[in-house]
Amino acid sequence: MRRITEHPILTFPQGKAMRFSFDGKTMEGREGDTIASALQAAGVRVFRESINLRHPRGFFCAIGRCANCSMVVDGVPNTKVCVTRLREGMAVETQHGRGSVDIRR
Amino acid sequence: MKKKTDVVIIGGGCIGAATAYELAKAGLKDVVLVERHTLSCGATGRCAGGARQQWSEPANVRLAKASIEMFKRFEDEMGRDIGLVNGGYLLCAHTPEEAEHFKKNVKMQRENGVDVRIVDPKEIREITPCINTDGMILGAYCPDDLHVDPFLAVQGWAENAIRLGVDVELHTEVTGFKRKGNRVSAVITNRGDIECKTVVNAAGPWSQDVGRMLGIELGTYPERHQICVTEPVKRMLWPLVVDFYVSIYFRQSAHGSFVFGHSDPNEKPSYNIRGTWRFLEEISKKLTTLMPSLKDICIVRQWAGLYDMSPDAQPILGKVSEDAENFLVAIGYSGHGFMLAPMSGLLMAELIVYGEARTQPIDALSIKRFAGGRKHKEHNVV
Amino acid sequence: MINTEILVVGGGPAGLCAAAEAAEHGAKVMLVDDKDVLGGQLIKQTHMFFGSHLQYAGTRGIDIAKILIENAKKAGVEFAPGATITGIYDDGVVTALNGGKFIKIKPEKIIVATGAYENMLAFPNSDLPGVYGAGAVQTLMNVNGVAPGNRVLMVGAGNIGLIVAYQLLQAGIDVAAVIEVTDKIGGYYVHANKIRRMGVPILTRHTVSRVWGKTSVEGAAVVEVDKNFKPVPGSERNYAVDTICLAVGLTPLTELLWNAGCEMRYVPALGGHVAWHDENSRTSLEKIYVCGDASGIEEASSAMIEGKIAGLNAANALARKTKLTQKTYDERMKDYRAQLGQLRRGPFGEKVRMGTSVLAGEAAALDEPIESLPKDYRSFPKGARVIIECEQNIPCNPCETICPHNAIKVGKDIVNYPTLDPEKCTACALCLTRCPGLSLFVVNREYSPTETEISIPYEMIPLPKKGDAVDALDREGKFVCKGKITRVLTGKKFNRTSIVSIAVEHKYGDVVRHFRASAAAKPEEKIITPADIPDDMDTIICVCEDVTRRQIEEAIDRDRAQSVDEIKRLLRCGMGPCQGKTCQRLIMQILAKKLGRNVAEFSPQTYRGPMKPAPMGVLAKAHDEEKN
Repeated sequence: MRRITEHPILTFPQGKAMRFSFDGKTMEGREGDTIASALQAAGVRVFRESINLRHPRGFFCAIGRCANCSMVVDGVPNTKVCVTRLREGMAVETQHGRGSVDIRR
Repeated sequence: MKKKTDVVIIGGGCIGAATAYELAKAGLKDVVLVERHTLSCGATGRCAGGARQQWSEPANVRLAKASIEMFKRFEDEMGRDIGLVNGGYLLCAHTPEEAEHFKKNVKMQRENGVDVRIVDPKEIREITPCINTDGMILGAYCPDDLHVDPFLAVQGWAENAIRLGVDVELHTEVTGFKRKGNRVSAVITNRGDIECKTVVNAAGPWSQDVGRMLGIELGTYPERHQICVTEPVKRMLWPLVVDFYVSIYFRQSAHGSFVFGHSDPNEKPSYNIRGTWRFLEEISKKLTTLMPSLKDICIVRQWAGLYDMSPDAQPILGKVSEDAENFLVAIGYSGHGFMLAPMSGLLMAELIVYGEARTQPIDALSIKRFAGGRKHKEHNVV
Repeated sequence: MINTEILVVGGGPAGLCAAAEAAEHGAKVMLVDDKDVLGGQLIKQTHMFFGSHLQYAGTRGIDIAKILIENAKKAGVEFAPGATITGIYDDGVVTALNGGKFIKIKPEKIIVATGAYENMLAFPNSDLPGVYGAGAVQTLMNVNGVAPGNRVLMVGAGNIGLIVAYQLLQAGIDVAAVIEVTDKIGGYYVHANKIRRMGVPILTRHTVSRVWGKTSVEGAAVVEVDKNFKPVPGSERNYAVDTICLAVGLTPLTELLWNAGCEMRYVPALGGHVAWHDENSRTSLEKIYVCGDASGIEEASSAMIEGKIAGLNAANALARKTKLTQKTYDERMKDYRAQLGQLRRGPFGEKVRMGTSVLAGEAAALDEPIESLPKDYRSFPKGARVIIECEQNIPCNPCETICPHNAIKVGKDIVNYPTLDPEKCTACALCLTRCPGLSLFVVNREYSPTETEISIPYEMIPLPKKGDAVDALDREGKFVCKGKITRVLTGKKFNRTSIVSIAVEHKYGDVVRHFRASAAAKPEEKIITPADIPDDMDTIICVCEDVTRRQIEEAIDRDRAQSVDEIKRLLRCGMGPCQGKTCQRLIMQILAKKLGRNVAEFSPQTYRGPMKPAPMGVLAKAHDEEKN
């Protein structure tokens, strides 16, 4: 929801700022972020809609295990954003139900 | 559990369940189906769920065509959605021999009323835009073929059989038989004996084990086939695609996952159903060659199932021995049992109820055919 | 194909210690971990650890991680971070996904130290964004430096729930309450006391009945339960929270062990299904060893020792002769067993002692009697200025180790309660900064004729300043009186725990244990009532496939499903991208409840690889390389 800047025990290095897009909107994250932490820091909690009931889903286990955080990243569906490092220029999209394979790739 | 019944069916897969249902439907409800674990836990539960009419033997074509008609009616008749994808089957030919073979088959299939046609690579790409047709000479496409969820189909047969009065006994293992003269008088199980008038061996890959309990060599044997499934994606492929040259079959299920597998010529007869890492590599190479856009899609699970192989890759139906007159088999489907299950069930029921198969002749599928040494091998097997 | 002698799967405390131990004796060791930073759960733990100096007690988890990694590096362990093991196959090959590559390893021995995974709790709308696992909250907070939310409801008062609640407060995030469905706080009282005195209520016999929000969590309803865990009518209370943190237990992560064919046993005391293993950590498969949480849920201190035992035995079992002598082997085994024995003494070790004896097929060994808590452990011995409030027998002795005047005694059995010798104590307060429970205080009644000065260990920001007027709080976080900050000691020597001293009227000297800035007022809780009450039967059980409780119960009632496999075939639970990792336990619980049987009677679905979804392009590339 926001970045923790001060902490009694830990120090968080100010990583280099990185631009990426989320559903077409330009966002900013930091070097060292996963896509999930960058989205969370920007206040985005809904990463996808579930396949049958279209429920909002997002971050849950943080270890790439539960598949809740699956999004379309650079055209690739079912990408687990909680374990995918943010890179400059990434295009991240909400996955609505099942992701599509871009057959032109 | 009943101690006495009319028919005991051994095996809770598609063949056993379909037979139980058809028997009850024909009015013979005094039936006990025994399954040593749970429904669909054997070969049926591991299969890809495809049903095609494109066979090289006319008898198989007719059996398959009728079965597919029954699958189309399944949801209405059984009251259960079985995830049916009426997407057809596309067979791909890479060599001139294959191409000739396909053309011959298509001619014969069309003569038997199948809606199938030869397609050139351009048309293949229109039917399946994502497929890489490099190296393909032509294809055989039957839009009427289909694929379904095998678990739901077995559940449909079983629950309707139960509704009609059949007993389904799970966790019940057959350990032997009792005889009286040249007949089986009872089936021995881990939960007690069941006296019966007729026994149906629908034990799939374990069909030979059951036969051996009676001292009968059925000639069938289990063979491992590996298979795997991906994460689901939006529908992009309708037909089930078979490529004998590459040796792969793949479909996108109603759920959106790709289910695919192959035949490994190096497999020896065995009960091994463990997966190998080489399979993952090989099958991925094969599928991404044919469907390059799937390279970023992930396999989430691999498993293996057993084909109940017969010497000529065609099923064995009916009586098998004069010493066990009432011991009938419905085995040896060699990897295409599921798609023939609807008709198998019907014909076995007719055989039991009327003493003969009425809807289609099954003499050609009798075990007697091996005695003569004559073999009409079914070629379209993957 | 990568050939190695010992492959260690998992780079947490158990795996790192196993690898270092084996490599120390000359074995060729490769350690893989699915994360690109090693240390397992340690890298998220900002608190000091318990146990003895042999397990780095008094050192923060994040620092222990660095030490263990350094040890392993020095011993010559080869690291492969960012590699997820996807299967242990019958031909002895272990496959892994590493970046964009599918790699194959052929080890002589495998040590599985894969840790544990968090249990899921399902309730109406538990699938809303904002419901997070406690481990996930820790990762987001302590590794990524991002707040998970603004106001959190913590579900579970075991050690993890209590520790993460505290860590949330350290990060400046509000914790509305900690709720626990049983009647007892399962974690150490010292962890509970830390958050209680900061005003966080801990409600036992409470559970979350539902959660609501448009697209993410906006509120939660908490309900009291009776001793049969049935909700007490009329007890429902709404909380305006945006985050629900689930800390409802851990289950050993055993997929690879199932997949490899190890004999598995259901041992509830160890957290669920574990691989049977002997006291040398060896499973039923000669090649495979198991240690750490993967072999039974316990503390990190035990994981370290179990790792050493596994590493020692794997090295000892290699075909070729290593540097390890029989003498060294015997000495180390004796030492490690003794250390484990110490860590498993006392009431907190009961579960593990029971679990390990179940696994060994023996009757549970009775713990030798522990010195009972001193009669006056809650009062003030005459002249004492350091007050010890740890209140339980926890195997832990950094207070004894750090005291430069030998004024604190715990003794050889580290589970004994610490006692203070007031004659030797100078009230230097060093022990305050090393107590992992932050349960030591200095009380100076001679501060002034009217005032007592209380020094407390303080790990929050902002630090107050000398002279600040503050509200003095009691152990429940309630306002007692006004106080004044007299001293703030901070600095490297204090291990990041500051000592803050406040002066209050004499009569409150026994009562004040915390403070807050006077200006800070607790924000008014805005209760939002949800528009509709969701049906419990609509609770999502299988999140991947959107399968509800209703559908599962129908499958059991109407479709005769009596096993996890049958439910899977009918409803697809366990066929989704997570392959049943999240829902299995919940389904077994539903089956047990509906069929009136014990959870132990149900097996999860067969674990088949790949254990992590494997992109086909990566597999195809590996095939090409294999051919060339």
